[in-house]
Amino acid sequence: MTNRYDEAFAKVKKRKEAAFIPFAVAGDPGPDVFIDIVRAYVKGGADILEIGYPFSDPVADGPVNQRAAMRAIKAGLNHRLFFELIGEIRTFTDIPIGLLTYANSVGHLGCDTFCKKAAKAGIDSILVADMPPEEAQELGAAMRKYGIGRVFIASEFTPEERMREICRCVDSFVYVVSRPGITGADTTLSASVKTTLSRLKKVTDKPLAVGFGISTPEHVSDVRKAGAQGVIVGSALVREIEKSVLKGANPSSILRKKVNSLKAATAVSWKS
Amino acid sequence: MAKAKKGYFGQFGGMFAPETLMPALEEVLSAYGRFAADAHWQSEYQRLLETYCGRPTALYEAVNLAQRLTGGRARIFLKREDLNHTGAHKITNALGQALLARFMGKERLIAETGAGQHGVATATAAALLGMSCDIYMGTVDMERQKPNVFRMGLLGARVVPVESGGKTLKDAVNEAMRDWTSSVRETHYAFGSALGPHPFPTIVREFQSVIGTECRAQILKAAGRLPDEVVACVGGGSNAIGIFSAFIKDKGVRLTGVEAGGMGLRGNRHAVRLTPSPNSKPGILHGAYSYVLQDRDGQIADTHSVSAGLDYSGVGPEHAHLADTGRAVYTFATDKEAVGAFKMLCETEGIIPALESSHAAAYVIRQAPKIKDGSVIVINLSGRGDKDIESVAKFLGTNI
Repeated sequence: MTNRYDEAFAKVKKRKEAAFIPFAVAGDPGPDVFIDIVRAYVKGGADILEIGYPFSDPVADGPVNQRAAMRAIKAGLNHRLFFELIGEIRTFTDIPIGLLTYANSVGHLGCDTFCKKAAKAGIDSILVADMPPEEAQELGAAMRKYGIGRVFIASEFTPEERMREICRCVDSFVYVVSRPGITGADTTLSASVKTTLSRLKKVTDKPLAVGFGISTPEHVSDVRKAGAQGVIVGSALVREIEKSVLKGANPSSILRKKVNSLKAATAVSWKS
Repeated sequence: MAKAKKGYFGQFGGMFAPETLMPALEEVLSAYGRFAADAHWQSEYQRLLETYCGRPTALYEAVNLAQRLTGGRARIFLKREDLNHTGAHKITNALGQALLARFMGKERLIAETGAGQHGVATATAAALLGMSCDIYMGTVDMERQKPNVFRMGLLGARVVPVESGGKTLKDAVNEAMRDWTSSVRETHYAFGSALGPHPFPTIVREFQSVIGTECRAQILKAAGRLPDEVVACVGGGSNAIGIFSAFIKDKGVRLTGVEAGGMGLRGNRHAVRLTPSPNSKPGILHGAYSYVLQDRDGQIADTHSVSAGLDYSGVGPEHAHLADTGRAVYTFATDKEAVGAFKMLCETEGIIPALESSHAAAYVIRQAPKIKDGSVIVINLSGRGDKDIESVAKFLGTNI
């Protein structure tokens, strides 16, 4: 199917870049500033957006993203406001919006209702952090029904047979975890990313986007050189949001500059 | 990937885990199958249960308690899990999982703990088997279970304070799962209760099923028949599923799980998941689909109980299934009722029960007027209460 993801990956391929995918938690630190942040991401050169639905117990996330989720929940983020905010993002950009969520947040509303509302608001893909393909059949059916793309994770621990199955289930892109563990935390990038990417390339031609622990332009260009078609930066940006909140400032201009420099690093030449 | 759903009890359970954990869960699942069939490792486990834990634990007839409650109309038995090494049923599972970890070639054990009993049990098993050990514990629980924190240190474990969320058991599980996602190669996560993603609810039940197996044989000998009712407290639900498992097929035996009623159902200061309450509904927490306390938007609710071991928002998925099918009945006892039962067991039987187990006793006390003549009731006394002395004193307004 032709969709926003196909267009976004085709566009960066033409320019010999990787897609830059910044992450923010919906409603963090509050609804209005969150919209400012997303605008800054788009103006800074984001090719794709990854938006988190805040969950109280995010076991796949590190402390930075968990604190962001708690700020968002405290600021009143709920299902209704979430879909409103996604709708608002759709008024100023047409780039793909991916949702990163946890199973209980989807299940609480029901898979069908959740996907119906998500599609209507303008969400293009959903990754459920604690729902492997085995458990995603009901949700997958609802996503297909409403034209939302599936995203699953693969890591260096994933055996080959499982990699094939994950890639077969994916519609939008494969979320490649740069190292085992949770979001955030590391300052060095694991050398195994390269191996994981080349293992994946042997079993799929779907886009591969690398995330977890990427915080600097050097990381971005390393991942690009290792063969990624997309680079996801989360905690490093969320940390900037947190810093600004503590200072009582609006993080938009800092984030715009940061996204701009990270995006620039996706333009290194790369031979497969 | 298998189309048949693995690890479900009716509609509950499953493997709702981050992808980075899936290979580790598959490894545990397959290793457990080989471990359970390996004569050498099983005989080592049996040897340790007998000579190290002190199994079988006694089944004691609480004549004084029965006299006080029913005037001797009924017989009440206590399954004395408090007599296990380290003071609770937890050691049975911790030792089993530590051996399983060794069987898989892992060097390090991690665990979550609420009351500290599972933390102490895991630290003990790690010391015995020469493994390194990190225990995750909420800072609220560390404060109310200081002796256990010190005990774990003495046993060579590192206690990692958890400051996120409500700083209790749920948050400790989050942190332990996070640790495991980045350390799966050398580390085994010894879940302390019959919860978490498949295969943990099954593995923990299997290790704890010895409680029920022993108890069934003991009560047949002592009373000459099966009991009318088996009562156990339910936090995550490991002691309850352990004792229930041997009686599930005995349709005439009523199985009753007692949850922490805290300050009562109004105001949501409780940990009642399986009795209908305004904020309990099926959901996904820590890898399994089960009943979960949550708010109107699906955020997990904080809980309250005087007893740290029952203070948890979710419940083992097999209990959710037993509740839905009606095979087991679930009720609750409040903080006040539990402390009352704690005192009554001290006074009538000279047994200081864990506050967790006191909830099971509290239900029997409340039911006493309705108990039929000649009834035989078993209470699973899952642990001893020495760790709870401070909490009880505080509850009663006494300084010690």
